[in-house]
Amino acid sequence: MDGWWGCYNTVLIADKQQKKSRIHDPGEVSVWFRKCSSVQNQRFTETLVKMPGADKETDLSERIESFLSELKRCGSGAGSLRGSAETARETTALLRRITAQARWSNAGDLMEIIRKEGRRMTAAQPSETTVGNMVRRVLKIIREEYARSRGSTEEADQQESLHKLLTSGGSSEDNFRQHFAHLKANIIEAINELLTELEGTTDNISMQALEHIHSNEVIMTIGRSRTVEAFLKDAARKRKFHVMVAECAPFCQGHEMATSLSKEDIETTVIPDAAIFAVMSRVNKVIIGTQTVLANGGLRAVNGTHTLALAAKHHSTPLIVCAPMFKLSPQFPNEEDTFHKFVSPHEVLPFTEGEILSKVNAHCPLFDYVPPELITLFISNIGGNAPSYIYRLMSELYHPEDHEL
Amino acid sequence: MAGKAGKQSRPRKAEKDEEEQPLLQAVLVADSFNRRFFPISKDQPRALLPLANVSMIDYTLEFLTSTGVQETFVFCCWMSSKIKEHLQKSKWCRPTSPNVVHVITSDLYRSLGDVLRDVDAKALVRSDFLLVYGDVVSNIDVSQALQEHRQRRKMEKNISVMTMIFKESPPGHKTRCEDDDIIVAMDSKSKRILHYQRAQALKKLHFPMNIFHSGSDEFEIRFDLLDCHISICSPQVSIRLYETQNQILGNQIHMHVTKDGYGACVSNLLMYDTVSSDTIRRWVYPITPEANFADQEGQSCTHSRHNVYREPGVSLGHGSQMEENVLIGRNTMIGANCTISNTVIGANCVIGDNVTLDRAYIWNRVHIANDVKVKQSVICDNVEVKHGVVLNEQCVLAYNVVVGPDITLQEGTVLSMHHPDEEDDEDEDEFLSDDDVGHSKDKTKQKGSLFNPAEVGSEGKGYRWKTSSLDDTEEDELAECIWGLALNPDPESDSESEVSEGSHDLGSHPASPELDDVKVFQNEVHGTLQRGLDENISCDNLVLEINSLKYAYNISLKEVMQILIRVVLEFPFHQQGAQISTAQYSSHLLPLLKKWAPVFKNYVKRPQDQLDCLASMEEVFLERETHWAALVKVLMSMYQLEILEEEGIMSWFRQSTTTDKSQQLRRNQGLLKFIQWIEEAEESSEGDE
Repeated sequence: MDGWWGCYNTVLIADKQQKKSRIHDPGEVSVWFRKCSSVQNQRFTETLVKMPGADKETDLSERIESFLSELKRCGSGAGSLRGSAETARETTALLRRITAQARWSNAGDLMEIIRKEGRRMTAAQPSETTVGNMVRRVLKIIREEYARSRGSTEEADQQESLHKLLTSGGSSEDNFRQHFAHLKANIIEAINELLTELEGTTDNISMQALEHIHSNEVIMTIGRSRTVEAFLKDAARKRKFHVMVAECAPFCQGHEMATSLSKEDIETTVIPDAAIFAVMSRVNKVIIGTQTVLANGGLRAVNGTHTLALAAKHHSTPLIVCAPMFKLSPQFPNEEDTFHKFVSPHEVLPFTEGEILSKVNAHCPLFDYVPPELITLFISNIGGNAPSYIYRLMSELYHPEDHEL
Repeated sequence: MAGKAGKQSRPRKAEKDEEEQPLLQAVLVADSFNRRFFPISKDQPRALLPLANVSMIDYTLEFLTSTGVQETFVFCCWMSSKIKEHLQKSKWCRPTSPNVVHVITSDLYRSLGDVLRDVDAKALVRSDFLLVYGDVVSNIDVSQALQEHRQRRKMEKNISVMTMIFKESPPGHKTRCEDDDIIVAMDSKSKRILHYQRAQALKKLHFPMNIFHSGSDEFEIRFDLLDCHISICSPQVSIRLYETQNQILGNQIHMHVTKDGYGACVSNLLMYDTVSSDTIRRWVYPITPEANFADQEGQSCTHSRHNVYREPGVSLGHGSQMEENVLIGRNTMIGANCTISNTVIGANCVIGDNVTLDRAYIWNRVHIANDVKVKQSVICDNVEVKHGVVLNEQCVLAYNVVVGPDITLQEGTVLSMHHPDEEDDEDEDEFLSDDDVGHSKDKTKQKGSLFNPAEVGSEGKGYRWKTSSLDDTEEDELAECIWGLALNPDPESDSESEVSEGSHDLGSHPASPELDDVKVFQNEVHGTLQRGLDENISCDNLVLEINSLKYAYNISLKEVMQILIRVVLEFPFHQQGAQISTAQYSSHLLPLLKKWAPVFKNYVKRPQDQLDCLASMEEVFLERETHWAALVKVLMSMYQLEILEEEGIMSWFRQSTTTDKSQQLRRNQGLLKFIQWIEEAEESSEGDE
């Protein structure tokens, strides 16, 4: 066990260093993305420019409306009908459309529009934090592009001192009124980069699988996460290991996960949720997905994850969370009314039960809160991080003023 | 797991369907064609009554939209202008709405049959459509049922006219009120409905034998189903409705039973209570109060533990507790030390101190003073409940009523600003527009100031709502109507409440229609024939009209024929007065018989029909001894018109009769001659062979 820990820590440190070097040069990441997507970008901008101008507005609002209603309706069962990666992509694509088609003359107007639509989108499905995160990312992009057009360095904006923040107040907001001819094209290009980044997240995460999964290990996971699925499948191409899947009642997404894994010739065992603690002593590593990574480094994950995390803590089993960056949300776990999501109690107590239904209250919550101290490592598309580092990533990704939409 | 997989594949499937199929349409009937919700629905159409602070029609439209309906026709009649206004303000009429809503109003709709006929006449629907009432709350995914329906239609062209959607819910389930208890006999393989009957707490049930001879070897008789009042209909449904009921029942209605999802129809206040509490307990997810699916400004509420929902601006006094399943509308103020559980409170209400609310449904702008206790009651808009009032179970305070102070209302009390006597005045024009209601309000004011303090308290305003008579039993019946059958479930009054349901659903076997309905139906048939004669309407159209009347009044085929015979035979009396001579009578009647022969032929088909027809003729003539001579002529002409056949007449004649009078009738000279003649004719035709 000890030896393993050592090895693990080195990985962690290495990751951190890698990460730091990358983060200190924000340009590098975007340059890399720009390279691989330049061809695609051109096509995007061209099609957007050629859009007929006539009923652009109604077309746009129709699209927004249908997106909203889809958001509202999604998730009649656990989580959403679509993966959150897809939601993230759709949101970003929609925001790009808004940028391209809405009427705005300067960055301030655009930010106002996006904020307004963002508020509606997040209100439509408060539990789907990805939507809000993407809105914040786009707002940040607008800020950066605006700053670049003005000629000031991003670095200066980023590192505003407390004193500067206190004295300058909302003055930077006023400055967004300046008009730049190329701003629109630049913003759209930057959003396209974001889209390309989103396309690659799962691959980027599963690329790191071999660093974490070793031969003949016993891995435990819970429910079904597309990211974890890809992560394990990627590792299985080189290594042999055993996966225990907690079924995650009442929706039992674990069954699907197990079927999918066993198709890839991974040795898979499904266990009921109640057996998590009993099996934990045999497990080398717990790898889970999550719905949201909260600002304090905690998780909002599928029901049963807290049990799993506590069991892992008890047995000192490392708990690794595979979470793409777009799941990182500036939300804290104390915001009670948006945190929870209760669905129809049908799965807990079937509607056909009869008389008892009028005598009891049944609830079917979807999410658990997992406190950060139970988590060993986050693996995101830009590398591995400890929960204590989340606050830093948060300030890289989102502008502090955008935390509240 | 399987369920999950189904859910996931759903949107894709739906898309595919939309590509292949023409757009999905729906017909929403925003009228219940009954007076169940009176006196509440006197001021507001039922579809607009708030359920968990959202109008019921919004739930229905949301349901339709989420199942992928792209075009909805809303048919309204009672207070149509209000419904129209509501819809125009709602999100459904915004240009971005994925579901295009058309409102069609007419004061002439008196039943579902009328609506369907209009759908057909205006050629509104092009393919299979969903048919729902304006008070359906559901989140059922109908795509599977739709697919089954389409497949059936593809396999056997035009055989399946309708697929009804049922929800599995065993007896004793709270969403089953006894009114809606149904027994369904179905063919388990083809899912065809063979028999559909309201159980009505009957001890004995009859199933016609012929349903078990229909060729299938597996039957299911189910009592665990709840009719969601959602059906998928083919465009032919309105045409088929005019054909005989047997066909509809025998061949063309199928069913789809769903286990997932929620579906219920708010048909009375008991159901209102249940559906409200189910909505708050999130059974209808994703249609929940905090989802704000109607997308109204300022209606977004927060959801916290124990299903407590609060809209913005709610203030709660010191020591007040919202225990569980509570929804409080915006800007409502609640005083100190209140206990609230299982309750919905609308917007802008003021509630005093020390108030206890349990299963109370309080709508908008209600004022409740201190020390009030409310149990399972409905309190409508602008009501004022004064100090110290206690409302026992199943009280209803309709719009603008003032109650109290210090009065205890008995179980099942209904108070309204409408004087119960208005009922009679308005009986004929109950389906007229709001003007009349406003008019009657004025009348109330004139009559007003005579509120009975024993009923509404010393400062109260309002009348105790009763049906036309002041009989005690009738009062009970009223409460039953509005609250369902919860108060006294004795089987005798059941059938009466069924009448109030009217033609609530298609293709149901009426247990036995009430005499009133039969009478009204008879008058209607008479009117139709009269009109037919005056305006020279073709017989086909007459048949159509009679058939639609039949559905409107829920009359069985046999009765239709009996009534038709009676009406026709009495026709000359109506035209020429009761004193005409036999000769005049027959000279009037015979041309009419000739004229309407196709109508009769439509109804008299089987030998049994002939017997029934003859029996009712006999009945009519027994009442009028003086015209017995005409009977022969009628029989003769019917025989010549090939409505009746000799076998039928002979077997009728040979029937052993019990009463002296009918034996006398049979001994009539002319009749005997006629019979003899027929016998000879028969023998000679046999001889020819």
